Amino acid sequence: MTQTDDKPAVQIASLNKWYGAFHVLKEVNLTIPSGSRVVICGPSGSGKSTLIRCLNGLEAYQQGTVTLGTIELGANARETVLARRQTGMVFQSFNLFPHLTVLSNCTLALRRVLRMPRNEAESLARHFLEKVRIPEQATKYPAQLSGGQQQRVAIARALCMNPRLMLFDEPTSALDPEMVKEVLDVMTGLAHEGMTMICVTHEMGFAREVADQVVFMDQGSIVEQASPVAFFSTPNHPRARSFLNTLLH
Amino acid sequence: MSVLEIWLGILQGFRVTALVTLYGLVFAIPFGLIFGVAQHLTTGPARFVVTSVIEFWRSSAVIILLFVFYYALPLAGLALSAMTVSAMVLGLNIGGYASQAVRAGLQALDRGQKEAGHALGLSRSTILLRIELPQALVAMSPTFINQLIQLVKATSLVSLVTLTDMTFRAKEISQIEYDPVPIYTSLLLAYFIVCYPVALFGRWVERRINPAREARRAV
Repeated sequence: MTQTDDKPAVQIASLNKWYGAFHVLKEVNLTIPSGSRVVICGPSGSGKSTLIRCLNGLEAYQQGTVTLGTIELGANARETVLARRQTGMVFQSFNLFPHLTVLSNCTLALRRVLRMPRNEAESLARHFLEKVRIPEQATKYPAQLSGGQQQRVAIARALCMNPRLMLFDEPTSALDPEMVKEVLDVMTGLAHEGMTMICVTHEMGFAREVADQVVFMDQGSIVEQASPVAFFSTPNHPRARSFLNTLLH
Repeated sequence: MSVLEIWLGILQGFRVTALVTLYGLVFAIPFGLIFGVAQHLTTGPARFVVTSVIEFWRSSAVIILLFVFYYALPLAGLALSAMTVSAMVLGLNIGGYASQAVRAGLQALDRGQKEAGHALGLSRSTILLRIELPQALVAMSPTFINQLIQLVKATSLVSLVTLTDMTFRAKEISQIEYDPVPIYTSLLLAYFIVCYPVALFGRWVERRINPAREARRAV
């Protein structure tokens, strides 16, 4: 953690991205200090998922810079891979590897990227499976688990790599309502431990409770950035107001 | 000539049928894998070259290729044995089909699989070898067994380039005995007896290599 203590965890400067002629991200600037929890929300098509996917190089962008700690993404391939290793990502559709057991899902990167011996990797993986409260599922395959359990495995898989930053791209949107809570509980636990988190979500209760910053996006731009208290009580931008209204009704 | 004698006669060709199949696989498996993966990964001119090679082997008539490689290449100074020509032509033809199964299997995978691998910091080759190929090959295993059976049956063509396989033996016996019906009926059965266990083996393999699906079925 020493490296990032003085540097912000994420610094996005003048980020612009186009899909063909469509301008998806427009002059996005955002600084996320180490240890903070940022929730990104906004109507669908506002570019929030695209933005979070730019933060670990899953999406290319045409202009601007993304700096994770001291590493500028895209500057060179080796550093980009290094930055990815320090960044955990949780996807809306879990993206577990269906042909591997839960345990192997968690140990794959430890063994292939960090060259960790099997025993060590497995005990680390079991530690994080315990942390997300599913140690008993270690030898099962993803298809044998519920959606909520799968998403918790995905979180454990990302945590195994000891990330400095966790990215969540609508982690509860594909879940049945009764499973949303178990995933949010794990995320809340992580937040309380001081993990730097960026989360695209429509779970406003989570944002209110856990976030220290809410970022509202509309049509590819950040139109409002505020503390949860300010954002939920007195949103400035008319689009933010109408967005909150539709969510609350 | 008794049925038993016919059977023993045809069986004398079994060794060649089996050898052409095995050597054919030596060409087919690497070709299918490498070119299927290459077609998946390459773009632009490189992809054009890869596709051209696949299309040559996939879209040519096997019987004509056998003749060309066996009878015409020696005129250009390149004389290959009948066994080599047979294994290569049949193997690469089937390999061409297999390459398309490999490519289709890879392309059918959810994009999220590759992305999850990238997000974990895995290299492209690790993603291919540990995440994409295992899933693609398992999904395509019924197709590969199909192609193996097709390869066994296609070996009957090698009798045209002097190899004494089961079909060649049947023809020989038929010419001596002048009684084609029992002889070719026996030959038909002989291919079935070879191919059907391959199909059964395929089903067994499918069950063995897909523990995830089996586990799901058991729930």
